[in-house]
Amino acid sequence: MTRHTRILMSVIYWAFIVYLFVPLVLMVMMGFKDSKFIGFPIRGWTLEWYTGIFQDAEILGVFGYSMAIAIASTVLSLSIGTWVACFLGPHKFRGKLIVFALTCLPAVVPGIISAISLRIFARGLEIEPGMLAIILGHTVHNVPFVALVVMARLSTLPPSHIEAARDLGADAIVAFFRVTLPYLVPALVGAGVFCMLLSFDDFVRSFFLGSYEPTLPVLIFAMLRSGMSPEINAISAVVLVLTAILGLWAERSMRRLNKGS
Amino acid sequence: MSAAPDIDMSPNTDSGRAIVHLDGVTKRFGAVTAVDALDMRIGAGEFITFLGPSGCGKSTTLRMLGGFETPTQGRVVIDGEDVTPLPPNRRDVNMVFQDYALFPHMSVARNIAFGLELKGRTRAEIARQSDDLMDFLQLSALRDRMPDQLSGGQRQRVALARALAPDPKLLLLDEPLGALDAKLRGQVQVELKQIQKRTGKTFFFVTHDQEEALTMSDRIVVMNAGRVEQDGTPEDLYFRPRSRFVAEFIGETNLIEGRVKGAENGSVVIDWNGLDLRGAAPGAVPAAGSPITASLRLESLVCHPAAPAEGDALPGRVVSKLFKGSRTTLDIRVGDHDGAVLRAYMDAGAAERIAEDRVWVTWDISRLAVLQD
Repeated sequence: MTRHTRILMSVIYWAFIVYLFVPLVLMVMMGFKDSKFIGFPIRGWTLEWYTGIFQDAEILGVFGYSMAIAIASTVLSLSIGTWVACFLGPHKFRGKLIVFALTCLPAVVPGIISAISLRIFARGLEIEPGMLAIILGHTVHNVPFVALVVMARLSTLPPSHIEAARDLGADAIVAFFRVTLPYLVPALVGAGVFCMLLSFDDFVRSFFLGSYEPTLPVLIFAMLRSGMSPEINAISAVVLVLTAILGLWAERSMRRLNKGS
Repeated sequence: MSAAPDIDMSPNTDSGRAIVHLDGVTKRFGAVTAVDALDMRIGAGEFITFLGPSGCGKSTTLRMLGGFETPTQGRVVIDGEDVTPLPPNRRDVNMVFQDYALFPHMSVARNIAFGLELKGRTRAEIARQSDDLMDFLQLSALRDRMPDQLSGGQRQRVALARALAPDPKLLLLDEPLGALDAKLRGQVQVELKQIQKRTGKTFFFVTHDQEEALTMSDRIVVMNAGRVEQDGTPEDLYFRPRSRFVAEFIGETNLIEGRVKGAENGSVVIDWNGLDLRGAAPGAVPAAGSPITASLRLESLVCHPAAPAEGDALPGRVVSKLFKGSRTTLDIRVGDHDGAVLRAYMDAGAAERIAEDRVWVTWDISRLAVLQD
């Protein structure tokens, strides 16, 4: 690489970083603005918007509702995804490729299509719009990610580990829980955090499958319709910080767990 | 049941009771027959090694004993119980895996306790037994280490301890020294043999390394293409190979391909490129004039600087000399024929004193082994 291309490459890189971070910085900053309107110039600063959302029972309630949905759908996705991965992983059977493709399909179907079809399906099953419907919708969307991550991890598990467990007296189920599952932990942590973030962030499915009780993204959308306010910035900034911490923690613990095996 | 006569030759047939019976065991994978009608009896406390090239069926035999493969035909009997249909967890057999297969999320102590826990032993019993084993195998200092913090030799010992912990009737070892470097391997061979002697356990060892087999085993079974080639003590196999395959697979040898010239009470004279070679023939010898192959180990030959006073001696000259440190390998052409070259070992000092164009070769007649096929 010549010197010029190197400089050009780093300029492009830094331009990308600026493009990525300036909106985020602006968003966080506006949350501190002592005014009802978003925009420059900023004449005064306040913490009111931030302290306000922690005192607002409605916002806290919605946050809890979103968290509950995220946790429930993550637990479901991990269980089903791991089961699918273990089923697809070592066995060879006719139509394995088709089953694998069907497993991955929900991850690539456009959100709006999947949301509408899930809504129709839920009505067919007489599942009321609301929490359960959203949880099931998110689970369907997240299972492929879990299955793919777990399958990748499973493929690095030497078959001799399971054989050793069987050899030492474990039946197939005990061997799974005492050897396979602990080996999968790094993958499960990573996939789990990813599922939480996907679910917490999801708007389209939650909007179509929800009742009058909104999830956080749906609430923000509703608030936006009555006009931008620094309160939205404050909520978004808090969500940003929480998800960033969760993501970094997952990254760190996955690295540590991977090293340990 | 072609392997049956081999069993009678086994040194442990009469001493001790049998712990394992393989009864016409055959394993086919599709069109490939990995193990072909194997009959075998393994005595309690024996260190038995299955030796052969890859794909000879030795590992399949081991996996059928462990319960990881089900025989296509035949029965596997361990300590009087027909275990043929039983899965690995319901057999009193444990295994040391080639890659050790230590559980990466468990400490050394927890790895060793795993089998005992699953046997439903009490906490106190588990602690006592695994402490004893760690003591015995010098692992006590490593008890809280994780497998990735251990060296190859330490891992191998942990794998051994883990397999011994549930007190199996038979211990299977699947090339457990393959991953160690050459120097450590020699040391571990000695250790393994000592451990086997002190525990009195039956060890079923599988390897493709003839040196490992010769060093450790009470009894070696050489396998080739799913069948037993020979079954005997290391000395038997080394000095009295039955077949060309065994002679060539174990150690280095001179293959003498000639014709029978004559035979008399227990010895045979082979016409080899116009030379007469005398050898021992305890069994039946083919009629005079028929082709015969014999094996003569390098160290069974002796080179002399002058014609020895008695015995058969062949004059020859040194064609090539290979210095190997403690020993020198000599290729000696005896007689007129180009093909008549014998390879011998000599003490390096003695080899220096030999005149290259005039040596005499003698051999230990009892060690010129006639091959049956």
